[in-house]
Amino acid sequence: MLGLDRMAALFDRLVLLAMFLILAAILTAALVMQYAFGELPCPLCLPQRYAMFGCCFGLAQQLRFDGSERGSGLSLLFAVVLLVIAVRQTLLDLFPRPGHEYVGSAILGIHMPVWGALIAVALILGFALRFAIFGGMRAVSVPAVASLRRLTQALFIYVALLCAVNFISAIVQCGLGECHTMGYSLLK
Amino acid sequence: MVAVYGVLLGAFVLDFAGHRRLAICCLLLSFALGLWLFLWEIYSPDYGFRMPWLQVESVAVSLAAVS
Repeated sequence: MLGLDRMAALFDRLVLLAMFLILAAILTAALVMQYAFGELPCPLCLPQRYAMFGCCFGLAQQLRFDGSERGSGLSLLFAVVLLVIAVRQTLLDLFPRPGHEYVGSAILGIHMPVWGALIAVALILGFALRFAIFGGMRAVSVPAVASLRRLTQALFIYVALLCAVNFISAIVQCGLGECHTMGYSLLK
Repeated sequence: MVAVYGVLLGAFVLDFAGHRRLAICCLLLSFALGLWLFLWEIYSPDYGFRMPWLQVESVAVSLAAVS
């Protein structure tokens, strides 16, 4: 029985780590698109990135498991925010008209706000399945968990660095005001 | 936007420094700021975005009035 518990605990952490890794990859891709391909984030794209950072923070908290599900709760909160913003932007650009075309280039035929909505739904679904299958985290000692912790910490530092780059980028793009620019306002 | 990202970055730094409760407070503050920014984006009379179907509806109404 303990073996089954250990396996479930390990698999649960692997699922969370996979979600964390995918979000980190998406945030990296967003920065690459911005700086390598010159795709400036729109006013609603930056809050979507911010919501993904919030999800990452919650996932890191949960992976460090302190006996509570607070991290999952935080991630779910930001996933809902991501869903609301992404759906809002998708509906806004659903009817193409001057000034309201989908921003950026399509990836696999799908534009960024639609991806945002899909990512949010996937996150919420992932947490729902996790709770349904594993029923939350177990405080079972598994040798592999120690190495997962180190990986989590490394990923957390990486995401924090991405957040720092986004912070500086937001300063250059938006200045100290609202972010309605078609270029980097501090570089004009 | 800068404030939202700044407070969020603060949460990451505080968590890394081991101040978990403060970090979560910072995260929740950034959540509130982000929500406020989003609502401002929607409802600002200058920059607020209208929903497309409302615009389509008003175009249809004005077209009907012309004909």
